[in-house]
Amino acid sequence: MPGDPPSDLPGDALGLYLHFPWCVRKCPYCDFNSHALRGEVPEADYVAALLRDLDADLESLGDRVRPASSAFLGGGTPSLFSGAAIGQVLDGVRQRLGFTDEAEITLEANPGTVDEAHFAGYRAAGVNRLSIGVQSFNPAHLQSLGRIHSRDDALRAMRVARGAGFENVNLDLMFGLPGQSADQALADLAQAIDLAPTHLSVYQLTLEPNTEFAARPPTLPDDDRIADMQAALQARLADAGYAQYEVSAYARPGRRSRHNLTYWTFGDYLGIGAGAHGKWTRDGQPRRRAKHKHPKTYLATAGSAACWQEDQAVATADLPFEFAMNALRLVDGFTPAQFESATGLPVSALDVPLGAARRQGLLDDDASGRLRASALGYRHLNRLTGLFL
Amino acid sequence: MKQTISHIRNFCIIAHIDHGKSTLADRFIQICKGLELREMQEQVLDSNPIERERGITIKAQAVSLDYTALDGKTYQLNLIDTPGHVDFSYEVSRSLEACEGALLVVDASQGVEAQSVANCYTALEQNLEVLPVLNKVDLANAEPERVADEIEQVIGIEAKNALRISAKTGLNVEAVLESLIEKLPAPQGDPDAPLQALIADSWFDPYLGVVSLVRIINGSMRKGQKIRIWTTGRDHEVSVLGVHTPKRVVKDCLKTGEVGFMVSGIKEIFGAPVGDTITDAAKPCSAALPGFRKVQPRVFAGMFPIDADDFEDFRESLQKLRLNDSALQFEPESSSALGFGFRIGFLGMLHMEIVQERLEREYNLNLITTAPSVVYEVLMNDGSVTKIENPSDLPTPGEYDSLNEPIINARVLMPQEHVGSVMQLCMEKRGVQKNLRYLGAQVQMEVEMPMAEVVVDFFDRLKSVSRGFASFEYEFVRFQPADLVRLDVLVNGEKVDALASIVHRDTAYNRGRDLCEKMKEVIHRQMFDVAIQAAIGSKIISRSTVKALRKDVIAKCYGGDVSRKRKLLEKQKEGKKRMKQVGSVEIPQEAFLAVLGIDRRK
Repeated sequence: MPGDPPSDLPGDALGLYLHFPWCVRKCPYCDFNSHALRGEVPEADYVAALLRDLDADLESLGDRVRPASSAFLGGGTPSLFSGAAIGQVLDGVRQRLGFTDEAEITLEANPGTVDEAHFAGYRAAGVNRLSIGVQSFNPAHLQSLGRIHSRDDALRAMRVARGAGFENVNLDLMFGLPGQSADQALADLAQAIDLAPTHLSVYQLTLEPNTEFAARPPTLPDDDRIADMQAALQARLADAGYAQYEVSAYARPGRRSRHNLTYWTFGDYLGIGAGAHGKWTRDGQPRRRAKHKHPKTYLATAGSAACWQEDQAVATADLPFEFAMNALRLVDGFTPAQFESATGLPVSALDVPLGAARRQGLLDDDASGRLRASALGYRHLNRLTGLFL
Repeated sequence: MKQTISHIRNFCIIAHIDHGKSTLADRFIQICKGLELREMQEQVLDSNPIERERGITIKAQAVSLDYTALDGKTYQLNLIDTPGHVDFSYEVSRSLEACEGALLVVDASQGVEAQSVANCYTALEQNLEVLPVLNKVDLANAEPERVADEIEQVIGIEAKNALRISAKTGLNVEAVLESLIEKLPAPQGDPDAPLQALIADSWFDPYLGVVSLVRIINGSMRKGQKIRIWTTGRDHEVSVLGVHTPKRVVKDCLKTGEVGFMVSGIKEIFGAPVGDTITDAAKPCSAALPGFRKVQPRVFAGMFPIDADDFEDFRESLQKLRLNDSALQFEPESSSALGFGFRIGFLGMLHMEIVQERLEREYNLNLITTAPSVVYEVLMNDGSVTKIENPSDLPTPGEYDSLNEPIINARVLMPQEHVGSVMQLCMEKRGVQKNLRYLGAQVQMEVEMPMAEVVVDFFDRLKSVSRGFASFEYEFVRFQPADLVRLDVLVNGEKVDALASIVHRDTAYNRGRDLCEKMKEVIHRQMFDVAIQAAIGSKIISRSTVKALRKDVIAKCYGGDVSRKRKLLEKQKEGKKRMKQVGSVEIPQEAFLAVLGIDRRK
């Protein structure tokens, strides 16, 4: 399959994740930090809190402050915010660390909250990529997922996005939905391809703990049918020129998500906003920091250390697993040099798990020296990454 | 105060689980002020936590109580505790041998159970005076008249005037003590004869070494005395003597008829076997006490550490357990499927469960236990006889002439309405009915059965077909020829020695089919298809397939997900810890015991 060269980002890539925690309504499958909105979004207060939060993180980053190579405005539902508010946030970022020339700036939009003025505002503010949470075009499935939008809303969202000047657009789709047949999943995908997005994220619905679905699980298609469904979807995606580069991510040439690649290559990223997680390296030591999840607490503490619900160095012993869990999600895997520069450890630290993976046929060694999951390993990625625990 | 032999009463309590033995013992201790109220820890006698949880007593102990009776005299009452399970019948008989009488405690709301009946018979055979007592008469559903009637019919002792008591409320408990003094004979024996004492029980104490519970039959035992253990022929010096009240009270001398504990520098439990005779090294008695038997394990299973690195820990744990459990036998076993472990011999199924539980709980070991097997006698072509404890050791057909399997005599006691279904179960288990007696509302059935059929799910089935009302006890009777074959199990074409079993030829096909189906249920789907085959010799008689798991992948993983996803994978890995890697297939514990569960399907 023709595709991009391996997803290698420059070692000094810096991602910036900005979290917007409010939604019109919480979806029953969603385990992200989102809160049903009561009343108005406190735009001004939240924007100010984000920038205070960013200042505090930059101080910790010390001399490693550099222009961000990507930003992802996720949620929650960032599209509840006005173009002006998003503009203030991005301007604040530019004043503090700036963006690289090629920076990818993505905003996540819910088809149920599409506003033409908002979209135009986002574009004007510098957002250059949209990610639209379509999930399905089938009315029955949209309802079972608790989505607030209809099929027409999704189609309109794409039109509005194009009208506002967005040509780089991702659509999120889900499969393995309650009562869904393979044909229905393929019909959803055909409709999505018809809209000609540059990127498709196609996820299997997972029942996550602490969600409404976990408490009252819907009946899902059995594992074998879901596996068949996925195989059919993958074939269709490949046909349409979307190359898989991660477990659930497919892109047109040159359109892989630089921001998500930062996660998957174990790069550095700041996590700004309620419940946001950041990970960066200072003096060769990777750290993780998470902010308070609840918007109220976040607003009160952002900018001070009191906002950091978690703030600690990643134990050296955990680095091989954390790296592998991310990097092996990529079809291209990783190079020994990438591992060494991202973790500061010699690649020999992976000898034991790599040996076990080879014995079990879970790893592909090709002439280029890249380490990546074999076809078997890619289907059993949990087992493969479990070896690194 | 000087107590003479006529003021001693040695007795035990025979009771079914939950019929109130421990509560009654606690009452006795309270009345005799053996402990202050605040010191009473409920159910003092069952001192091991697993025993307490299961309401059974594994190790016997004794309490010596001073009771001032209505006649104004003070008596020494020695209550000797007995193990309460079918697997420990020999131990029970030795505890009884230390007594002149027994209290038969029966729950007045339940009635007599087979275990109590069996122990009562043993007591009567050993000429003990048995005093029936009806407990729990405070319960609304108590039927003392009916139960008294049942005792008379089933056991054949007078019970109309049995005391109606409640150990819980204390009702009539003192009357029990009075009745013990009145009706039980005092011990006999010659105080001037050479020492002759019975080892009623032995256990290991980490500070003292082996401690033995002894009953002085003739003569006396003094601190500093040189004694000889009859069967080992070894001499030791008595370093500590005493009784439990239940507090430990050290004494200089135990006299004829008394019961107490003895420490004499014996380091291993085998140095003081239960039932053995102790005598004076310088002036030995003329004969040993009758009834001594070497303990023979009847059920064997392989136990293997899931992590091969735990093998040495496992060995040490077994050695520690054996300090206190002379019935536990083990020797190293090597399985091509499971690696290095031990073949362990047990008295029976309960004994096996207790040992397994203690190893896992107290010693923190992750073990795979193979299906238990009995001992078979193999008559080889050259006329020699060997015993095999492990189905995979059975020689190939052609090398041996015939096979003998152990037969037990089982006594099942049950209400009349269950006779039909219990009989059917026993026939299905290749039982041969020997006797059927109607005893009031109860029926006692005697059946001879292959022991191998009993280790395979008989207890559970019996409980279920009789809705919990049937009780059961057994003894080994003989080895007997049978048409047996080895049923092998192949996983992905490879014979797994630890899954082999010996079965009757007539049932082999059904067993093989059921086993393949059961294994299919318990073996998790893996990365590839897993073929399970049952075979006799080179002939495959049944087959099933565990289809491959198509995928096992976390769909979403972004920057904030690391710790949550990590937990998920850790949990998956934890689950694998309970499995043993055999070739490339992960086999869970349940698969090794599948052979036990296959008959349960309707």
